[in-house]
Amino acid sequence: MKKYILVWFLIGILLVIGVFTTLAEGTPVIISWWHIQTETAHKAVWQDLADQYMAKNPNVKIEITVMENENFKAKLTTVMQSGEVPDIFQSWGGGTMNDQAEAGLLKDITAYLDKDGWRETFSEGALGVYAYKGKNYGVPRDMGMVGFWYNKDLFAQADIDNPPATWSELLDDIKKLKDSGITPIAVGEGDKWPGAFYWEYLAVRIGGEDAFVVAASREGSFTDSAFVEAGEKLLELVAANPFQLGFLGATWADEATLMGNGEAAMDLMGQWAPGSFRENSIDSQGLGDKTGWFKFPMVEGGAGHPNDALGGGNGFVVGKNAPEEAVDFLKFISSVESQITQAEVGLSVPVVKGAEVGLTDPTLKLVQRGAADAGYFQLYYDQYLPPATGSVVNDAVQGIFAGTLTPEKAAQMIEESAVREIK
Amino acid sequence: MNKKLFSKDAQILQQKTNSTWLLQENMTIVLFLLPTFIFLSIFLVYPIFRSAYFSLFNWNGMGPAVDYIGLENFKRLFADQIFLKAVRNGILIVIFSLLIQLPLAMGLALIVGRKIPGRTFFRAIFFMPYVLSEVITAIMWLILYNPNPNRGFLNAIINIIPFLEPQAWLADTRLVLPAIFIVLTWKYIGFHMLLYMTGLQNIPREIEEAALIDGVNNRQMVTYITIPLLAGTIKTSVYLSIIGSLQVYALVWIMTRGGPVNASEVMSTYMYRYSFVRFELGYGSAVAIVMLIISLTFSIIYFRLTRKAESLA
Amino acid sequence: MSVNNLKKIKRFKKHSPVIFKYIILIVAAIFILFPIVMIVFGALKTRGEFMTIPYIPPIPPRWGNIKTVLNMPIFWYMLRNSVLVMITTTAGVVIVASLSAFVFSRIKFHGQNILFNFFTLGLMFPITVAILPIYLVVRQMGLTNNLIGVILVQTAFQLSISIVILRNFFMAIPSELQDAASIDGCSMLGFFWCVLLPLARPSLAAVAALTMVTSWNDLLVPLVLIDKEKLWTLPLGTMQFQGQYGMDLSLVAAFLLISAIPAIIFYLLAERQLVSGLTAGALKG
Repeated sequence: MKKYILVWFLIGILLVIGVFTTLAEGTPVIISWWHIQTETAHKAVWQDLADQYMAKNPNVKIEITVMENENFKAKLTTVMQSGEVPDIFQSWGGGTMNDQAEAGLLKDITAYLDKDGWRETFSEGALGVYAYKGKNYGVPRDMGMVGFWYNKDLFAQADIDNPPATWSELLDDIKKLKDSGITPIAVGEGDKWPGAFYWEYLAVRIGGEDAFVVAASREGSFTDSAFVEAGEKLLELVAANPFQLGFLGATWADEATLMGNGEAAMDLMGQWAPGSFRENSIDSQGLGDKTGWFKFPMVEGGAGHPNDALGGGNGFVVGKNAPEEAVDFLKFISSVESQITQAEVGLSVPVVKGAEVGLTDPTLKLVQRGAADAGYFQLYYDQYLPPATGSVVNDAVQGIFAGTLTPEKAAQMIEESAVREIK
Repeated sequence: MNKKLFSKDAQILQQKTNSTWLLQENMTIVLFLLPTFIFLSIFLVYPIFRSAYFSLFNWNGMGPAVDYIGLENFKRLFADQIFLKAVRNGILIVIFSLLIQLPLAMGLALIVGRKIPGRTFFRAIFFMPYVLSEVITAIMWLILYNPNPNRGFLNAIINIIPFLEPQAWLADTRLVLPAIFIVLTWKYIGFHMLLYMTGLQNIPREIEEAALIDGVNNRQMVTYITIPLLAGTIKTSVYLSIIGSLQVYALVWIMTRGGPVNASEVMSTYMYRYSFVRFELGYGSAVAIVMLIISLTFSIIYFRLTRKAESLA
Repeated sequence: MSVNNLKKIKRFKKHSPVIFKYIILIVAAIFILFPIVMIVFGALKTRGEFMTIPYIPPIPPRWGNIKTVLNMPIFWYMLRNSVLVMITTTAGVVIVASLSAFVFSRIKFHGQNILFNFFTLGLMFPITVAILPIYLVVRQMGLTNNLIGVILVQTAFQLSISIVILRNFFMAIPSELQDAASIDGCSMLGFFWCVLLPLARPSLAAVAALTMVTSWNDLLVPLVLIDKEKLWTLPLGTMQFQGQYGMDLSLVAAFLLISAIPAIIFYLLAERQLVSGLTAGALKG
């Protein structure tokens, strides 16, 4: 009997604690903010901005939830089911955002942007990524492109004087690196999207803008020659065995760790790469001034232009239940000052006019110029296309990496999904 | 209960108490069984019916299910190469467990025997992985399996051995299933060993002694006496192992998410992905129903078979 | 036993070299222990040390990572949630299962076999198989993102095995006691409460121990039903933690170590109950 009393007592105490902790949440205006900047320096920038805003607006409480990329994507899908969207959250725009808007989960902030010239502060192209059917649902903070980040020291060790400008030069350099005992490329193909960059860029180089526009608009097909050829070129790359051991199961974080610790020479990645290299390196320094960047090489005979860019940006969208203060806060973090701060720590390649001065990192400047110079700018396929098709693209490319899918089969898979999903 | 009482008064008294006792008994039965009945109806039976209903729809979980497609989901399921691979992997795991894990556990139990000094010590060690959660186990082995010899213990050891190459354990489509199986063995071998140890203890000493007097050697003892007498334990161990293998989830999901390229896909990861990642809830329901039918069918067949074996024995 | 037999047995045992047995056992024990030891080492190193000298014992041990984990408020929320769910589920299971087990073990009535088969349905398909249907029902009940939903589902799925175990134990209590009680004028409920339960305490402890382990380690139910960070249980939080900080291997190891400690302590204290519960349920079920 005494044992039971003890148990009930414990239960009672715990219930009381539980009730109190849940009641302790107060009643000012609460803004929930989900972002994916797990890097210390970047996380601090967001927190700092939130603190500043809260100091100016004491009745507002901003609750930040920081999540790692994959966790965030997973959580977002469940949140879409329950309909309990956060007030401000990370977005890459494109098809996923369109789905969310279509499901009525986002707040229409077109009117807010029209007021006081807020709209004009943004670079038009970047802002357009967060619009759907003429309405705005969020604002960008960063726009960049995918390119090859490389370790200058390791290149020097392998006697490579200049970064490769063509596909065959790339394959040659890979051989040189291997001969010097250096892992040529780090890729986290376990996460699937890092490897998809290769295939997508190859399609961009081989088929140019037309190939994708035709396929995505359903006038053509994803089994058109450009896409199959892209797969074949990818096979060439895989056959050269340039990746780290276990790449098929590695995550993006594994990839960043390798690069950050100087254990691999090249990494095809977006503008957030240096921050992640830093974060995942043992000494938290990353590559520092060993960092180099070059555009994805031209494929001989391809219809694309060497300046064509694959990329995307980051921004925040507003949840349907967000209070007005949330939009106001959004305005705050997209001010020129805030963008300059973000640029200085390499958090964002700015999209607000005038904030470019904050970009001190020379390689990030290269990235920004590259994005500005691009005649044809392609948003990552898995963001542009409807989510279901986007994820099929990633799956199909992983099949090519693993040797379980031929380029034809992979293209076929994507086409079948496009037929189902793109109306 | 029906004691014979002799005096008439006592008999009348007994009749009265019998009827009140009967009423009490009936009420007790109903009241005592009701909570369990309610729980099981709400959380086991009802969900199955609801799922069966949704499996006939194309439904993404938001709003009501309106896109009726009949048995399309099931057709798609059985045509899906990945699902078939998941089933095949599940069967492979079952076979590996039965052929490797269980005999190993039995062997260990036999070695430890009844009275070897340090018995409880060893039992405590072997059983410990069972109480660690699958999450902890999976992450632990994720670290051990890290392909970089500077971080992954397994590859570090292999590096030292001259004629072995470090492998990408969880990233190689041929190695991933065996790698997962090793972790499963690590986790559950102690459990099965425990079952066998207890079973061994229940074998009456007299039989062993009688056999010894008759002059059997060790191997004969084990083959003709110990194992047949352990039949009940073996039956249970096999059943639990099969059911456990068919439904393993957390270990696989955390270590590989079913990858790379579905090489380690099992039914539970397949269902989880379609249900809670892609939110194709109609299709996911179909998968759930099929898994349910497979488990139930297996259980029923197993029980029938073993009961027959017992009655024959 | 006659002296002759004793001598024969002793000679028999001498012929099977004990040393071989110990070697095998020790090798097996090393296989079991080394992952745990590696994690303990990893937890007590700095991140740099983990990457450069991961396999030697940490001397001196670095408590930094452990301190980091203990300082994260989310960790204590997870701990609280796990404890809450575990205790409530266990109490629920013990009470509800013993009621049913009592009926099946002491009272004969029509249709008891069918009903018993129904009650043991939970053994036939484990929770992984039923989780999507469960999610849909709990969502319909409005209990997602609510620990009560988790508790109810866990309880429901532990009932079958618990009833089987308890029924076996209860059947062992002699019926003379029941007769004696009835003559003394004790009602059914009275017999249950005053006589049976105290006698069956070891079995109740066994069921409680089993339920506690299962509930504590459960990943799937909280994963599917709970979204809010503050309501995470320990296994769910551990998985999210690894997803978040996966690259800081020593930090992850520290988290693993700390979240494993309650389980290990519990194991050391309750090993006997666990073992008896498992073997009883498994062998006679």
